[in-house]
Amino acid sequence: MTDLAESLERLRQRFSAQAEAAIDERELDSLRVRYLGRQGEVTQLRRGIGTLPPDQRRDAGKAINDVVAVMEGRLAAASAALQARSFETELASSIDVTFPARKARLGSVHPVRQIIERTCDYFMRHGFAVVLGPEAEPEYYNFDALNIPADHPARENFDSFWLSDGLLLRPHTSPIQVRTMQRYPPPVAIVAPGKCYRRDATDARHLFQFHQVEGLLVAEGIHFGHLKGMLEGLCRELFGRRQKVRFRPSYFPFTEPSAEVDTTCPKCSGAGAPQGTRCGMCGGSGWIELGGAGMVHPNVLREVQYDPETYSGWAFGFGAERLGLALYDVDDIRRFVTSDPDFLVALS
Amino acid sequence: MRVPISWLRVFVALPRDSSEIASRLAMLGFPVEEIERRPRISGVVGGRIVELGKHPNADRLAIARVEVGAGEPLTIATAATNVAAGQSIAVATIGAQLPALRIERRSMRGVVSEGMLISADELALPAEWFEDGILQFDSGMVPGSDVVNLFGLADDVLEVEITANRPDALSILGLARELASSYGVALDAPSARNPGEGDEAAGERPNVVLDSPDCRRFVVQRFNGVVAGTAPAWMRVRLALAGQRPINTLVDVSNYVMLETGQPLHFYDAAAIHGSLRVRDARDGERVVTLDGVERALTAQALVIADERQTLCLAGIMGASVAEVAPSTNSILVEAANFNGARVRRTSKALALRSEASTRHEKSLPLALTDFGASRAAQLLTELGATAFAPRDYGARVAPASPIVLRLGEVARVLGLTIPRERITEHLRALGCTVEAADEALSVTPPLWRRDVSAPIDLIEEIARIEGYERIEASMPPVPAHGVSSDAFDLDRRTAQTLAALGYREVITLSLHGRRRSDRVARAGLTPEAEPIEVLNPLSEEQRFLRASLLPGLLEYLSAHPGNERIFEIGQIFSRDGSELRERTVATFGFAADAAADSWRDDAFLQLKGDCEALVRRVTGHGLTVQAATVFGMHPGKSATLSIADAQAGSLGCVDPRLSNAFELARNVYLCTLDLGALPPYQPPRYRVPSKFPSTYRDLAIVVDIGVAAAAVEATVARGLAPLGTAVSAFDEYRGAQVPAGRKSLALRMTLQRFDATITDEEADAAVAAVVRALEEEFGATLRA
Ligand SMILES: [Zn+2]
Repeated sequence: MTDLAESLERLRQRFSAQAEAAIDERELDSLRVRYLGRQGEVTQLRRGIGTLPPDQRRDAGKAINDVVAVMEGRLAAASAALQARSFETELASSIDVTFPARKARLGSVHPVRQIIERTCDYFMRHGFAVVLGPEAEPEYYNFDALNIPADHPARENFDSFWLSDGLLLRPHTSPIQVRTMQRYPPPVAIVAPGKCYRRDATDARHLFQFHQVEGLLVAEGIHFGHLKGMLEGLCRELFGRRQKVRFRPSYFPFTEPSAEVDTTCPKCSGAGAPQGTRCGMCGGSGWIELGGAGMVHPNVLREVQYDPETYSGWAFGFGAERLGLALYDVDDIRRFVTSDPDFLVALS
Repeated sequence: MRVPISWLRVFVALPRDSSEIASRLAMLGFPVEEIERRPRISGVVGGRIVELGKHPNADRLAIARVEVGAGEPLTIATAATNVAAGQSIAVATIGAQLPALRIERRSMRGVVSEGMLISADELALPAEWFEDGILQFDSGMVPGSDVVNLFGLADDVLEVEITANRPDALSILGLARELASSYGVALDAPSARNPGEGDEAAGERPNVVLDSPDCRRFVVQRFNGVVAGTAPAWMRVRLALAGQRPINTLVDVSNYVMLETGQPLHFYDAAAIHGSLRVRDARDGERVVTLDGVERALTAQALVIADERQTLCLAGIMGASVAEVAPSTNSILVEAANFNGARVRRTSKALALRSEASTRHEKSLPLALTDFGASRAAQLLTELGATAFAPRDYGARVAPASPIVLRLGEVARVLGLTIPRERITEHLRALGCTVEAADEALSVTPPLWRRDVSAPIDLIEEIARIEGYERIEASMPPVPAHGVSSDAFDLDRRTAQTLAALGYREVITLSLHGRRRSDRVARAGLTPEAEPIEVLNPLSEEQRFLRASLLPGLLEYLSAHPGNERIFEIGQIFSRDGSELRERTVATFGFAADAAADSWRDDAFLQLKGDCEALVRRVTGHGLTVQAATVFGMHPGKSATLSIADAQAGSLGCVDPRLSNAFELARNVYLCTLDLGALPPYQPPRYRVPSKFPSTYRDLAIVVDIGVAAAAVEATVARGLAPLGTAVSAFDEYRGAQVPAGRKSLALRMTLQRFDATITDEEADAAVAAVVRALEEEFGATLRA
């Protein structure tokens, strides 16, 4: 055995023992430098090849290359083993996934807005525009243009807050309907959501400040059946596919025929008095009232220069908070105004 | 209106089940708010006391022998004091079920009682409305007859809501007619014939002068020989079930006719009237004591009926006590008049006096009802033994309505339901219309009692009601293209959704507020910008003013909920612009935060500003310019206005700590308000392809006067670096001992890059040196050592 072979064998053995004992990648790296690096021990031996007789140089080169290959193989294997061990340790760890989550810092829109947006989305999908308008409006847009002249008994149903100069806080969003029809020629298809005010004493079912969503469709060939179809679709969208809708005759000066619109009480599913106890939401009738609707009165169409012989249409108006009571099973309508954080969080 | 089903059955055959009748009424447009269930009563029969004697063993008891039809008279012990032989009364026989007890044979002090004589209470009638003791019936009642059936005491009472357009249905007969039409059965209406005939004696003849067009028709009729005694039991029971307290024959007849027909009547004691009756405007200051005993001062707005001496009646509302019928009355004048509804409503509202009569008159009754009401009163009074003279009428004649031409195609066009001509005719006739066929149309004359039916659309509604809305099939409408825009809603909604995404929670506060808010502003030592806009008729002082800003409402909210909520509201605020009311939609958002460690460094402000920038960028596509400014209600050194695309669009800052304190807030509040109407339309951002060459950066620390704005320094740096600079941003500020007094240190990072080649260190250094010179020149800046 030559000196070189002996030296190589010694190096190899020492390297193997050290590689075996390495506990992390850093140690493996330093071994690589110590043996195979620019100043490494194996590299030093390789530099000595030049001093050998020419006939020995080939064999010496090969012997060194073999050792280098073995060492690199050892290093790779040791590295793989180390990684495998570290995965093993990592995978052996576990956490309690049922531990309470860190709460996301997400804001929310008010439940009333959610209702309005869901309603508007439904109508927008069907080609309606959504129009907003001022809250302080002249008498004309609130009453006169809607076939409710001064001294009309129906004005009592719209007990309003008056400001000076004949302005009042709108008791419904119908002024938007009038303004839209006066601004655009027929056909029109709009939804008019917004805040309204009535001089009602506040209690668990009444607010003096509330929100309405009104809708209006005027075009050729529009009839009462279309009103039913559209509102049935809305109720199913809001409450679910099994929802029923009932239209009862009623009276509003701006529509004729007029209707009150009821839908299946979501709390008792229309049973009224399940197991003999009266449902608290619908009072046992199995229905909840959504609001009014009807075919736009010809006098209203004439007022906005629409020809009632050619055009017909319908309108409806629902209270958003009223809808919210049923939709979210809320016990007291005043919660929509006090907007307590826990209420907002619960309904967001 | 309270509607005893038993009274409806007088005119129309109805199903047994009250719920069925209630839901039928609801589907005709008369919602039933309540079904008052009557208790189950059985075994009560009519009886006549044939003999009354003392109880052998008890002084307080009497023994009555009562004939109850077939069989032996019953022996009944009673403690009542209002019994006498010959009386017609009702007996609960053995086994009878009364509301509170079941009658059994029992011995009373040694005498076996075979039943019980009963009072109003035992028939579930309000005891205080009837005589104490045993209820007295009319002598005509057949002994043995079933009292519960005879008086309809088992039938429930409905509380029915009547819409303002249907004063004709504010009556038992009106609702009976609706039900008859809907069930397709006959209506057995009472005769309209007035039994009065002949002229009064010369001195007794009534005369009426109509001095106001607001009395449209006045029917007056004289009755002699009336007795204000106790009305017949059937009448008293019906009135009581309908919620009307029986008083005496005359008052009861008046109420009975009003409830049955819908026409209010007024009865005058003829002896109290001097000369002609005059319907005229009241004189300002004229005083009258009404039947409720209240003296009222009138204005010319009121319409009165007066004679030559005194005011006798507030037209359509309530009579005066001077001509009130009394037990001594033996002749009366009956008024059945028609007044202008609006005038009755205004007067009734002004006097805060509503009555059963005014609630009917204020809806403007049909003219024809006057004659019908007078006839019914005459029929009842003559049955009770009065002598009726011929009615006299004044004012407008009752003329049939003009016929309405209803094209059959219109019905289908409006309803989307084709109803055969025969069926339409049937429905309209059932409601009392006269219908004649015309070419592809019907000529329809509405009945005299329907003032609300005057156009084809009114007829279409009637047809739909009787046919039933449920028969109209639902379908989706074809929605045609139209030009209406949703821009305002879109902006409103994107603003709300973005704020929610930024962690803010939407609240809705009240638009109306009381003086408490202005008091708080005053307590903070601030002078409000303008007088608040007043509501003329608030329900409470807490609704006196219209809000001029969302700020106070949000401060109240944060004060009530001292958590870490980030909140926002979008709503209308109101101000005056000269005499014009100005209304704007604003979004205000913010939060409460603890005081900053350094007075000159405020992270809460920067956080709010960052959220504002994000919001504005999302909803407008534009950037934001913030400028120090004085804003009402805000900390003078920590508030700013903000502009977008060179237009002012809002403000932000820390709320004046004195104001927060006045709202009982322990922490500072940071709020930003955006005027949604001032925002430019959305402009999509432009994409600029980044340079392919690497960038380098340089940091610079300079010392400038405290008043120098970071934004101004940035602008100068950006100008100096162009076109090499791609970004410049101040990232730190320092004030304190390490810089001279009145000066501050600003740290800036500049990013430099070329689009055509890699920037060299020499180029970058040269650019920075130029910037340093510019800063020195413009702001007297020095490099920080
Ligand atoms: Zn229910």
